[in-house]
Amino acid sequence: MIEFDHVTRTYGPKTAVSDLSLAIPRGELFALLGPNGAGKTTTIKMLVGLLQPSRGAVRVSGFDLVRDPRNAHLHIGYVPDEPCLYDKLTGREFLWFIADMFGMPRHLAAERIGAEIEHFELGEFADDLAESYSLGMKQRLVFAASLLHSPDVLVLDEPMVGLDPRSVRIVKDLLAARTREGMTVFMSTHTLAMAEEMADRVGIMVRGRLRFLGTVAELREQMAIETTSLEQLYLELTGPQAGRQQGA
Amino acid sequence: MPSRATAGLASAATAEALTASCCRLLPVDAESRLFFRLRTRIARALCLTMLSTARLRLSLVVLLSAMFWGSLYGIFVEAFTFLEALHAEVISLLFNAFFSSLMVMLVFSTGILLYGGMYCSPESRLLMTLPAREEAIFSHKFQEAVWFSSWGFILLGSPMLVAYGVVRGSPWTYFALLLPFMMSFVVIPATVGGICCMAMVAWLPRLRLHALSITLGVACVGAIWLAWSTLSSVRADSMSAAWFEQTFSRLAITEQKLFPSWWLSSGLLEAARPGATRQEAWAALAEAVKFLALLVANGMLLQLVAGWLARRAYRLGFSQLASEVPARRRRRMGWFDEMLVNAGSAAGRPLRLLVVKDIRLFRRDISQWSQFLIFFGLLGLYFWNVRSFNYNNAYASMIGFLNLAVVGLILSTFTTRFVFPMISLEGRRFWILGLLPVHRDHIVWSKFLFSFLGGVLPCCVLVLLSDVMLGLPKRAILVHEICCVVLCMGLSGIAVGLGARMPDLREVSPSKISSGFGGTLSLVVSSLFIMAVVVVAALPSHLFLASHALGPGTLRGVLSWVGSGQGIAASLVVVVALGAVATALPMWLGLRAFRRLEP
Repeated sequence: MIEFDHVTRTYGPKTAVSDLSLAIPRGELFALLGPNGAGKTTTIKMLVGLLQPSRGAVRVSGFDLVRDPRNAHLHIGYVPDEPCLYDKLTGREFLWFIADMFGMPRHLAAERIGAEIEHFELGEFADDLAESYSLGMKQRLVFAASLLHSPDVLVLDEPMVGLDPRSVRIVKDLLAARTREGMTVFMSTHTLAMAEEMADRVGIMVRGRLRFLGTVAELREQMAIETTSLEQLYLELTGPQAGRQQGA
Repeated sequence: MPSRATAGLASAATAEALTASCCRLLPVDAESRLFFRLRTRIARALCLTMLSTARLRLSLVVLLSAMFWGSLYGIFVEAFTFLEALHAEVISLLFNAFFSSLMVMLVFSTGILLYGGMYCSPESRLLMTLPAREEAIFSHKFQEAVWFSSWGFILLGSPMLVAYGVVRGSPWTYFALLLPFMMSFVVIPATVGGICCMAMVAWLPRLRLHALSITLGVACVGAIWLAWSTLSSVRADSMSAAWFEQTFSRLAITEQKLFPSWWLSSGLLEAARPGATRQEAWAALAEAVKFLALLVANGMLLQLVAGWLARRAYRLGFSQLASEVPARRRRRMGWFDEMLVNAGSAAGRPLRLLVVKDIRLFRRDISQWSQFLIFFGLLGLYFWNVRSFNYNNAYASMIGFLNLAVVGLILSTFTTRFVFPMISLEGRRFWILGLLPVHRDHIVWSKFLFSFLGGVLPCCVLVLLSDVMLGLPKRAILVHEICCVVLCMGLSGIAVGLGARMPDLREVSPSKISSGFGGTLSLVVSSLFIMAVVVVAALPSHLFLASHALGPGTLRGVLSWVGSGQGIAASLVVVVALGAVATALPMWLGLRAFRRLEP
């Protein structure tokens, strides 16, 4: 469903992502972890077509993001870390714009918009201009918009920022349900508890390289240290010592 | 128990069917209609918001625009009447010079606006993740940029062209063709700007800044040279036949038949030609329509080229731009900041620290200092050339005061746009400032000092330049300089005081803060203050010069006293008093409100 094929991305002399090869099948929830500046956001931007790889290829549902971005985007839903809305559109108008952009039939779009508004509890403010929304409200609206067209792949960049505990629960339930239905989720997060709770597999990036790929259980096995906490494992893997080893 | 991935595989076919059935790529026309609906909805919401929350601002904009349009129309009617009678051939040249200058400006302004809209805006980041065609995104942002870059052309050009048609007695078809002509012309330079922008970002990312700087530099030097050579060469016999001939020869460069500006100019002149017979009228109209068709055809061709380029270069450029690593900032001006911080007593150090912080922010915000430089630079250029025309004393004095008013008005736009929002923007950082061991008053006073000290030096230099070029006596220069200092002080007081009295702590965009009710009020009060200062100071000086020119005893009673040396001194006292009130009152209101502020 998602395929990174020897992907490298550089910013001038700096390599943000180095030779990343990764395949995520249908119905998997994958969590990408790593410290600030590890290359997570660059990876996500390449996955949604905002950045082009310097080398290698990124494919979604078999469509190359550089060669055929429009077809690839038909299969992607994206929730960025900073929600972008049109201030002068209401939430409902924004959802209609997204539904129309994906070419959804009117009756189906109306049905889905109604369902997502209900699901994300947007009803109270769906007809207000987006400029009056709080960060959490914006984030819920962006979630609703990203799911309107039932994408095969949902890409989430720090999805829980700004959400209240109730909204977090809604999102968690939704991700679990959608992955059961076959949707693939690619999520970047600093919330280790969430990755531990929800992810089928985790990837840990350090300085542009994928240092670990597997389940949390495999990570514990590989690290062979006396702890059961993902946080401790993560810190071991991404700490200064690991960085020096990486550099050497 | 099967894993979620396995369960997912089982329902894969369902999900695929779902996506395939509910999504499709939009055809070009549907995509265009969708973006059109988007713009219409946003425009409608914007209008409704303005009507409900910014009535004062909207009324002022409409009123001032109407006044501006009417004044321009009147001036152009007079000018065309004069030119029709004396130098009819000048009109074609003037049209060509005007439209070719606008053409160059439109290339740059649309290119710069498109750069911001297509590559740096959050909206473009959203659209790039949707299944939209690159050329559709370009077209959407292009229409937005054209609107922003060409409204000035419509506002400036329409009174001129309507006045020309009225003076010439043109048929109704001329007036009907004005808008199509202007719109079809605007598309050409704007599309060229868009093409240059996309090509530079995609293929010359590292040269982008240099290429733009060099091109802008060359264009500026060319424009300055043209203006300089036109205005400075024949100072003694301006408006004579020789002056006209020399000016014609210099401006002839704008009459190139390959320029869209020439097509526009020729088309309009043909359309405006009143035919003596029916056949002549039809022939003129046909010729005009031919030029219109030429403009439309070229505009469409360029749009096709731009669309083709967008398909190939937009995503590439977007990605290239993100590859650039910002240069590491070097502390070039660190010594200057240190000097300012350490200059003075220890008690005043917190205030100086706050001022230095604002100076740093100003220095690093290119949009602020570049606008400051452009506007004051253009004013400087105009003042430098002001002596090209010979004035008698009364005229020179009047022009000196008008120049003083212009300096004040430009400063007031800066204080409203950049100084007024400063307190509101501090509200976002109140968690830092509120915890610092400084009195809240210091924060407000630091903004005042920043604004006053930043404005007073360039304004006084400009006024001095204007007066020297006009050949005004020392006493007049002194009066103007005093007025200038008073203006700077009052305008700073109004902007800072009202900014603190009516802060908008939720808004992060300075432009939105300044365009709200408080900003509009600040601009209106500033304009009234400038008018009051200039009128109070100008009247006695003008009467003084008039009494000298017309001879003693011409002015009687109060007018005689007002036009005397005592009258001038009294007017200065009133000016200083006006300045004190304009500074103290808003500052008092602002300080009181800021002390009570609960962010």
